[in-house]
Amino acid sequence: MDRDSILALVIGQIRDVVPDLADRPITGDDAMADLGVDSIERSEIVMNAMEALGLDLPMVQLHGPRNLGELADLLHAKHTRA
Amino acid sequence: MANPAAGIEALNVYGGAACLDVRALCEHRGLDLPRFENLLMREKTVALPFEDPVTFAVNAAKPLVDAMTDEERARIEMVVTCTESGVDFGKSLSTYIHHHLGLAGNCRLFEIKQACYSGTAGLQMAVNFILSGTSPGAKALVICTDLSRFALADAAAIQEWAYSEPSSGAGAVAMVVSDTPHVLAMDIGAYGNHGFEVMDTCRPGPDTEAGDADLSLMAYLDCIERAYKDYIRRVEGVDFRQSFAYLSFHTPFGGMVKGAHRHLMRKLYKAPPAEIEADFARRLGPSLTFGQRVGNTAGGSVFLGLAGLLAAVELTGPCRVGMFSYGSGCCSEFFSGIVAPEGQRRLRAQGIGPALDRRHGLSLSEYETLLRGSQVIRFGTRDMTIDPQEIPAAWAAYQGQGRLALDSMAGYHREYRFV
Repeated sequence: MDRDSILALVIGQIRDVVPDLADRPITGDDAMADLGVDSIERSEIVMNAMEALGLDLPMVQLHGPRNLGELADLLHAKHTRA
Repeated sequence: MANPAAGIEALNVYGGAACLDVRALCEHRGLDLPRFENLLMREKTVALPFEDPVTFAVNAAKPLVDAMTDEERARIEMVVTCTESGVDFGKSLSTYIHHHLGLAGNCRLFEIKQACYSGTAGLQMAVNFILSGTSPGAKALVICTDLSRFALADAAAIQEWAYSEPSSGAGAVAMVVSDTPHVLAMDIGAYGNHGFEVMDTCRPGPDTEAGDADLSLMAYLDCIERAYKDYIRRVEGVDFRQSFAYLSFHTPFGGMVKGAHRHLMRKLYKAPPAEIEADFARRLGPSLTFGQRVGNTAGGSVFLGLAGLLAAVELTGPCRVGMFSYGSGCCSEFFSGIVAPEGQRRLRAQGIGPALDRRHGLSLSEYETLLRGSQVIRFGTRDMTIDPQEIPAAWAAYQGQGRLALDSMAGYHREYRFV
């Protein structure tokens, strides 16, 4: 799966976990916290994205991205390596 | 020969004398939490100037010690204080607690630290002391005591603390550990650990806390999965959904526990959301009974959860409780034990819920006054006398129940009195 497809997948997971964001435009420049996604929801979104990608890694390895684009880059790198 | 028994003979919670409404605090701080209810927070206990980790600990333990006969009390041969709120680098809190409880001199006194994992570390040390059989019939007193007073250092400290101010509470849990475990009979040998070095949350100086909410959450989730997997490596025939009638997890706030439960149910079973929600409400919801009212009590929170579930559910016979403890930095443990109606009766007799109802409800201006801490004895202070009247109504309500209060510091020595 390419990087942009992973970004789309993550954005889909965000809308799934936080239905309030269904109609809001979301891009790779957005950070989940700025969208009003709380820390518990953020971890659920990351877990769901990993599950959808078939990744089984420690969550702490997904810590660090400052926005959704960086998260997609990181997931893409892990996915390619897996 | 019957299997040796060890575990918690008696347990009491002390949830403080003053509390704050957490939603009001969040609004006051301008925190935008559109789905606040999902965080499962209601109130938090706030320590008053004449309270410290020693007063919390003694106020939790004294009813248990007072209920013992002289012969029983003389068998307390170890006092382990589990805390990340120490008041001295050398002298342990146990020395003060031992003195104010009037315990015998033939006793090991020490303090254990590993963030919120400390209580489980202390309990396991005590359980293994009992199981060792080196002093048949001995008892240990394990006390988890923690409070959060993180805005004192300087103006920047309150910013540093912002990520956890709403959830940081105060409280103590005292446990008598022995070979007659009425409240929780440990499943001997049934435990699993996971630990690794991570900089998620720390207390880098007196009265300061720093952390990263996302990293701490991720470390907690990694630990619950891996500690549980270590548990099932040691114990045959375990099914997370079937083997534990109830669960109690370390509770920074209720939403964290809900997230961890969901994580485990997804990882282990790919369970659908409706099943996860129903299972959470049934097996974990009761453990939040007291945690939602006192906030994060750090080392004691997993045992506060145990107390809450024993207060909330109706046991008809013995059943197994799965417990998970996590301490930042980090170390964690999944373990289990058996609870029964007799232990539930003993726990309920402590009147923990009614005591929480009697706390002084702080206004936001009273809370801000306490945060400034003009009457708080800072770490390293040599001499100071506290004016207990800073919040007059709280001091008035505190007296007359035989609780311990911190009076002063004299040549670095903490001076207390029962009021």
